Amino acid sequence: MKTIMKRIALLLVFAMAACIFAGCGNKDGVSDAAYVKDKGTLVVGITDFAPMDYLENGKWIGFDADMAEAFAASLGVKAEFVEIVWETKTMELNDKNIDCVWNGMTLTDAVKNAMETSNAYCNNAQVVVVKREVAAQYDSVDSIRDLRFVVEAGSAGAEELDALGIPYIEADSQADALMEVAAGTSDACVIDLLMAGAMIGEGTSYAELTYTVALNSEEYGVGFRKGSDLAAKLNEFFAAAYKDGSMLEIAEKYGVQASLIAQ
Amino acid sequence: MVETVISALYGGFLVSIEIFGLTLLGALPLGLVISFGSMSRIKPIAFLTRGFVWIVRGSPLMLQLLVIFYGPGLLFGWNLWGGSDSGRMVAALTAFILNYACYFSEIYRGGVEGIPQGQREAGQVLGMTRAQIFFRVTLLQLVKRILPPISNEVITLVKDTSLARVILVYELMWEGQRFIKSAGIIWPLFFTGVFYLVFTGLLTILFRRLEKRLDYFTV
Repeated sequence: MKTIMKRIALLLVFAMAACIFAGCGNKDGVSDAAYVKDKGTLVVGITDFAPMDYLENGKWIGFDADMAEAFAASLGVKAEFVEIVWETKTMELNDKNIDCVWNGMTLTDAVKNAMETSNAYCNNAQVVVVKREVAAQYDSVDSIRDLRFVVEAGSAGAEELDALGIPYIEADSQADALMEVAAGTSDACVIDLLMAGAMIGEGTSYAELTYTVALNSEEYGVGFRKGSDLAAKLNEFFAAAYKDGSMLEIAEKYGVQASLIAQ
Repeated sequence: MVETVISALYGGFLVSIEIFGLTLLGALPLGLVISFGSMSRIKPIAFLTRGFVWIVRGSPLMLQLLVIFYGPGLLFGWNLWGGSDSGRMVAALTAFILNYACYFSEIYRGGVEGIPQGQREAGQVLGMTRAQIFFRVTLLQLVKRILPPISNEVITLVKDTSLARVILVYELMWEGQRFIKSAGIIWPLFFTGVFYLVFTGLLTILFRRLEKRLDYFTV
């Protein structure tokens, strides 16, 4: 038994050493952009997350997906979308299974340390959603204290209400919380700004709802391998696409124009 | 930790029991009324009642809960229930009572129609009114006949109370699941099964006793 354990341990050590050497071997001076251009595809790591990346008729669309397609085209390569497990995104990136993480990724310190990140391109926030006819009365944090809130259990919105000491009831999802507000069984809910932009207001099933106060703010960015020159290239692309209006156009298509960050 | 979980689950269990008890209290008599409706000699009443029973038995209870609670607000902008805990409970009870009354009504109908026609005719020969025949001849035999199918429905009701969570009535299952969301602990969800099993076990014993008590005559 012991010898088997020893052998396994030894194997693991060798495997780890091999990984480290292989990792070193990859840093052979070829830039990341050249590597991507050479193989002809930009592999984009995503999850199913409307309105950023989601499937429609077998094709990945969304604000992030469309921007990724455009960025790949500007490099002269094809974009290829791969669904990843969100927790292991950095590993996928370093193993070169994907070339970037482009999926409404909040730019936290952890993300910035592990990846070469682009400039922030989208604001996200936790926003308060109420019925349109009463929206004018609830435009500040103080004014919302007496509302009956519903939020997704364990969500960022719930955390913000906890911090403010505002009581709430919990629903299973952000979508369920929206239905509560629409039916008037709760006065307000707290959801992601980007989701609010896509799911409520004119032209949606929730035309009578609108969002008012933002309780916090966070920013989305795109992540590349540490040291990659693609991040700088994407920043240039963002600046150009923002200037010629194509970025805004795509943002409007998916209802995220309000949260777009000027490049 | 264990104590926190058990006391949270116990709180949810009380809510489940509340739904259970009040539903039986409302649905058992209402079912009788509905069964009279579907057996009525006045054709339109029988027709309408049977249509209602078809709709209620033919659609999921979960959907009925959603329609009853959210429907008025979403369709007519008229929030019938209010969003308070008690409003949610009343809406849940409305759905449960209507649903279970329809199932009970069919059990009652089966029981009534299973009683031989000859007994009713004998009552008429003796000059009894229809009401007298029902209460003095039919009812007790009915109770004995329908006890097993009713116990089936009652036990199903214990487990169906978990559906009330879709309109955010925090019953036992919700409380169990809450620990997954907040603390990533899974076992409380499965531990809810113990509460359901113990309660249905007690009900099984109760119904067996009741059946024994009615053993002194045969139908």
